[in-house]
Amino acid sequence: MNRLILIIASRWSRLVLVLFLVLSLQTTVFADLRPFGIAAQVVLLFVVCAGVSFGVSVGAVVGLIAGLMYDFVLTTPIGLGSLALGLTGATAGLLIYFYPNPTWWMRLVAVAAVSALGEIYFPLAQSMVGLDGWLQFRLLKVIAVVVVVNIVLAPGVLIISRWTLSERKNPI
Amino acid sequence: MANVLSNRRRTIILLALTSIILITLDLQNSSVVSGLRSLFGTVFHPIESVARVVTRPIGNTWHGIADYNNVIDENALLKQRIAQQEGATIAAAASVRLSQELLALNGLPTLAGINTVTAQVIGDSPSNFSQTIEINQGSKSGIRVGMPVLNAAGLIGKITKTFADRSVVMLITDPDFALSVKVVNSPQKVTTTTIARVNPATTSPVIPVDPITSVPDAATTTSTTTTTTIAGFTPSVTTLPSTPTGVSSITIPFASELAVRETGVIEGRGPSRQPTVRFIDNSLRFGEIEAGAPIVTAGGSRSLAPPDILIGKVSRVIERLGSAGPVLEIELVADLSNLSFLRVLLYQPITEKTTP
Repeated sequence: MNRLILIIASRWSRLVLVLFLVLSLQTTVFADLRPFGIAAQVVLLFVVCAGVSFGVSVGAVVGLIAGLMYDFVLTTPIGLGSLALGLTGATAGLLIYFYPNPTWWMRLVAVAAVSALGEIYFPLAQSMVGLDGWLQFRLLKVIAVVVVVNIVLAPGVLIISRWTLSERKNPI
Repeated sequence: MANVLSNRRRTIILLALTSIILITLDLQNSSVVSGLRSLFGTVFHPIESVARVVTRPIGNTWHGIADYNNVIDENALLKQRIAQQEGATIAAAASVRLSQELLALNGLPTLAGINTVTAQVIGDSPSNFSQTIEINQGSKSGIRVGMPVLNAAGLIGKITKTFADRSVVMLITDPDFALSVKVVNSPQKVTTTTIARVNPATTSPVIPVDPITSVPDAATTTSTTTTTTIAGFTPSVTTLPSTPTGVSSITIPFASELAVRETGVIEGRGPSRQPTVRFIDNSLRFGEIEAGAPIVTAGGSRSLAPPDILIGKVSRVIERLGSAGPVLEIELVADLSNLSFLRVLLYQPITEKTTP
């Protein structure tokens, strides 16, 4: 019984619940508000924020789980977004690997850079399974909009990702 | 600490392998993956619905700020277009009615004989790398994967996923979209043959008529000639005798001068580029394809859409060397950036229908 409560109270269970909320925002409000015709990517932002806050391995796990959930609502093959976001989370975690105590602006720069990379990983992964046609000049516009929106939203999402993934001692 | 890292590394490997297995299964159209997707959809749908209700004011505020001027301009433009098209619509409706009657008389299938389900768009694709929309009708309404989806203007896409009460529509612009189509190449000019009633055996020489304006030839007929220049319709000449002179004129276009149809495949190229039609035969009979030639669905026992649904018109012809045939860039008649109410044709080709 105690073990079950420990699992329910773990940060990974919390992560899945928070990801459901983030995903619901992604498929509703952020799919509807499209600055310059581009959808903001809050699932990607959450993964990047987890990576820059907790490092490579946590970033990769969060990316793989978030990507898997995102895949279930997309029409692309399941697992593709998981791999792309897992790689994105791991890339974001490299910040902690090189700078164990990054400043706030370093985190923001990392969020911007990795968001751009994340938007490149996905069409690359698509083209690897034969769904080509997305690597075109429009990608630059997508990257520009996603980077700007992610920089604006990053402070709030960084707080949420830290709250979600923080270890809590003695949950029972 | 080392144990935690080892566990985490194991988790990452496990998740990555799971993803690869899922990709492989999904690309093989595994029913397990479809079931998982359906299950996730069932669990996620209530959460999404709550989020949609809660965030609607945010969306409305955003659209109020960002799109107000566009809506005003669009409204003015639409009013002007409605005024222009009111007359043309009546004439077109009469033509369509006649055409449907003729098809019905000859036992040919028409769109009017296919049941439809009206649906409303409830969401766009959350990703920037898929061109899909979500509609509020699903398998309960008889919708199946592959059925064509139209708006008032023409074809916009096809159903790619169905749930009980919603479906996902892949738009024509998605790079994964492909459908067989017909290019209706309008003849360059119309020639008429005037037959005199007095001596039916005598046929007057062929008289070329300018497709835009035609002046009745007083030497041949005393008639009023009207022509149509609507792209995609075979220009026809209606000759009405102004005075009963004993010579009546009827218009018989030569078979070789009727609109020629050639099939190809339309393929999406993403939202920023126009779809293209490829595999057009480079035959002499088909002639030069000109910008403005309409593109309609080809139909057939293997095609997912019935014949003659309007898709768009040729905006550019890219000639290729050899026998490769041209590539046509298509300007869609439907505005895919502004979709609201749609019709799903409950059509399945004979090859897809399951026997009871």
